[in-house]
Amino acid sequence: MVCFNFFLFRIVQTDPLAHMFRGRNIPRELQENLRAAFGLDQPLFTQFLYYLRETFTLNLGVSYHSRQPVWSEIMARLPATLALLGSSALLAGIFGTMGGIVAAWRRNTWKDRFITSGTMVFYSLPDFWLGMLLLVGFSVVLGWLPIGGMGTIGVTLTGLPAVLDYLKHLTLPAMTLTIAYLGEYALVTRSSLLEVMSEDYLTVARAKGLRDRVVRNRHALPNALLPVVTLAALNLGFILSGAIAVEAVFSWPGLGQATAQAIRGPDFPMLQGLFLLFSASVILFNLFADVLYLYLDPRVEEV
Amino acid sequence: MPSDDYIPRTQTEVLGLRRIVVALTVAALSLSLVPGALAQEDRVVLIVGLTQNWDTLNPNAGYLVSEWEVWTLQYSGLTTFDNDLEIAPDLAESWVGSDDGLTWTYTLREGLLWSDGTPLTADDIVWNIETSIEQEWWNHIETTENLTAVATDDRTVVVTSAVPDPNLPSLSFLVFPRHIWEPVATDADTAATYDALDGVGSGPYVLQEYRPSQSVTMVANPNWSGWEGSDPGVDEIVFRYFGNADAMVSALQRGDIDAANIPGSAVATLENDPNIEVVAGFQGGWEQIAINGGMGAMEPHPAMMDREVRRAMAYAVDTQAIVEDLWYGNGEEIHVINPSINPKWTPEVDPSLQFAYNPATANEILDNAGYRDTNNDGVREMPDGTNPLRIRHIVNTNTDLGQSIGELFAGWMEAIGIEVELVALDSDQTGTVIAEGDYDTFHWGWTPSNNPSGMLSVFISDEIEAWNDANWYDERLDALYEAQRIELDEAARISQVHEAVSIFTEAVIYIGMVSGAELNAYRSDRFEGWVRQPTDDGPIMFTMSSPSYALLQPVAAEPAPTTTVPGTDTTAPGSATTAPTGTTPADDGGGANWLLIGGLAAAVAAVTALIVSRRRSEDERE
Repeated sequence: MVCFNFFLFRIVQTDPLAHMFRGRNIPRELQENLRAAFGLDQPLFTQFLYYLRETFTLNLGVSYHSRQPVWSEIMARLPATLALLGSSALLAGIFGTMGGIVAAWRRNTWKDRFITSGTMVFYSLPDFWLGMLLLVGFSVVLGWLPIGGMGTIGVTLTGLPAVLDYLKHLTLPAMTLTIAYLGEYALVTRSSLLEVMSEDYLTVARAKGLRDRVVRNRHALPNALLPVVTLAALNLGFILSGAIAVEAVFSWPGLGQATAQAIRGPDFPMLQGLFLLFSASVILFNLFADVLYLYLDPRVEEV
Repeated sequence: MPSDDYIPRTQTEVLGLRRIVVALTVAALSLSLVPGALAQEDRVVLIVGLTQNWDTLNPNAGYLVSEWEVWTLQYSGLTTFDNDLEIAPDLAESWVGSDDGLTWTYTLREGLLWSDGTPLTADDIVWNIETSIEQEWWNHIETTENLTAVATDDRTVVVTSAVPDPNLPSLSFLVFPRHIWEPVATDADTAATYDALDGVGSGPYVLQEYRPSQSVTMVANPNWSGWEGSDPGVDEIVFRYFGNADAMVSALQRGDIDAANIPGSAVATLENDPNIEVVAGFQGGWEQIAINGGMGAMEPHPAMMDREVRRAMAYAVDTQAIVEDLWYGNGEEIHVINPSINPKWTPEVDPSLQFAYNPATANEILDNAGYRDTNNDGVREMPDGTNPLRIRHIVNTNTDLGQSIGELFAGWMEAIGIEVELVALDSDQTGTVIAEGDYDTFHWGWTPSNNPSGMLSVFISDEIEAWNDANWYDERLDALYEAQRIELDEAARISQVHEAVSIFTEAVIYIGMVSGAELNAYRSDRFEGWVRQPTDDGPIMFTMSSPSYALLQPVAAEPAPTTTVPGTDTTAPGSATTAPTGTTPADDGGGANWLLIGGLAAAVAAVTALIVSRRRSEDERE
């Protein structure tokens, strides 16, 4: 993964310095000095070895753009992304699963059709477009919510007003991502629950005279939710990579925006650092999903 | 059969879920009703929206327009530019030149102080000149590389240039406070990696807070020496970054921000708003379709090297259509490059070189020059009947109009029997193929600086395979470029520059040139006193020295709603000697982030624990 990240960005034949110099009359000597300072005068393989050594000592290097350590650049933007993507993942998980349960249990009724088609429509919409629509609706036309950013500019808030102000700014981007990802959870829950509902043990449960809800909540759901847990864990892994388009629409200063900014240039150290973090988080949450299975699925323990 | 036992429990569970849904909905709705501001304070805040982010606020590391706007406000130069871009006093109140024009003696204003109260003396100037050369500060070196400086007393600096420099006595480089920078900028590396958030400067406003990808807040400098007649009416300027231009325009309409650089597509909407003024300003910049002159490392299609073909192509491009349809009328057709922001450096153009759209003339020129379509496939061939005129046009996907202009261009060329293949590349790749000469035509643009040397240098032979994006040169232009660099008589220098530009114009390398307006919009119900730079047709913000900010006054009739701020007054600028100090990136938004993240993590942990425990308890039961 570490190696892949290095070469991925070098496939594009561009000179990071050319971008900086465009339109500026800078002495040749100074250009060469900068090239040397960034290590760009070295052969690619030497650059690679240097990169490997530094990565393993957790030195991600210095951003070409800001000239600050990549690590601190990433850490400064991490909280914004975690908050936005975390809250929307949680809400999408809860509401999506609930929708899926209702759709499966009441399959082929208007509720099922409403939930299935509704979430599918939102799932298929490009999230930035959905974001623009919500922005126009809630911020421009109704004027209830702020137009992007993470806080009201030009005022100094502390305590509860600061938290409320922050939540107001979070609402629209989080809502966009929640609506966009409802479909995934709803559909997976629905199909998985439908599969379980045809199992014999549910017929047995009903035969015992249990109420419908009890059959659903105590017998069907625990088994049907296994794939949903997997999906949730995998999605958590992707949280860090942010939502580039939605962060741009709402001017949310997170890692998605940092990625888009780093591609201009390109800012190799920043891109490598970001992708290292993204891949690490996906791997970590996959592991988490596997471990969780040990507890959730008795069959796994036997293996 | 414990069914009775189960029923109430399941009901509460379902009710519990419903409660969560209801609670979340209510919370979301009530949130939208929380008022934004809670109390009032007499602080006049100007909020400027922009869609360009900041990489850094250190002038030795950055170069973006968004960053320059901050530096121009915070750091004065020895001299600055007046609204007509001519030299004007800044830190220096006067200057005297030696007979040979190589040595200039500057007298600083009396009683200059940095924003933190430290005296600003001639030593600061000398240290900046010497250190910028030694540490190669990249925004200074072009101005200072040939200079030596001596402080003869606290208010006098003697600057000597090793070569005749026609830009003197203008010395507008950013002067950093020595007492802040000397300890941190110990070599080239530390000078560039310093975060520069100290907020100490000598300009009208100094940095107070930087929130990366969000905003830059600047406060009025209590120790600013001031320009003639200016008394800043704005206490605080906030530059607010928008990831999305449409959202920014909406914010302007809503009054969340007071001014912004807007996209052309927004002009029609904003012009109908009685409280918004749109200003189309020109700073010399333009976009062109460039034809490969064929003198670079790689050769284009041989027809491109024939001036007659280039002339025909120029006639075939409907530049007015580009202005009307793509710039929404916010631009003007130009026939000659502007080597400087200052129009005095741009020559008149011979009418024979002003190619008004006329495809018939274009076809006639090609016919007469022998480029005929011998096999009737709609594409002309070279005069010897071989090598059909099929050319590659590079579309720079990072420019707004690149794609549209590429398609229009292909259509116009088809009408005169030239087939165009569009090749889409990003800016960096485009830059690479241009330097290699590996193209026939491309669309891009230039923004000149004040000094015409920079723009002229693009077209000299030394810049082939580097900045020369014409892949063309002329020895006469090379000579004129060298001559004007050391010509101290301004009238003589102007005529040299005019001649050099005319030589380039005659070669017909750049066609379809449009000088696009930079579009500023501001709320006329909030602030007044905006000035253009240059005076006649320049923009009101993001200019050479951005004089507007220090001249703005709030509109008297109605106190600007942006001045409503809650609670404390700790951020107000202090007395003359207490510094408005710069701070590290803000943490209040971050604090809320971490609060929320903590809550989320707890929620995930709780759900996981719940699932696991229920699974376990069921296992035990079984």
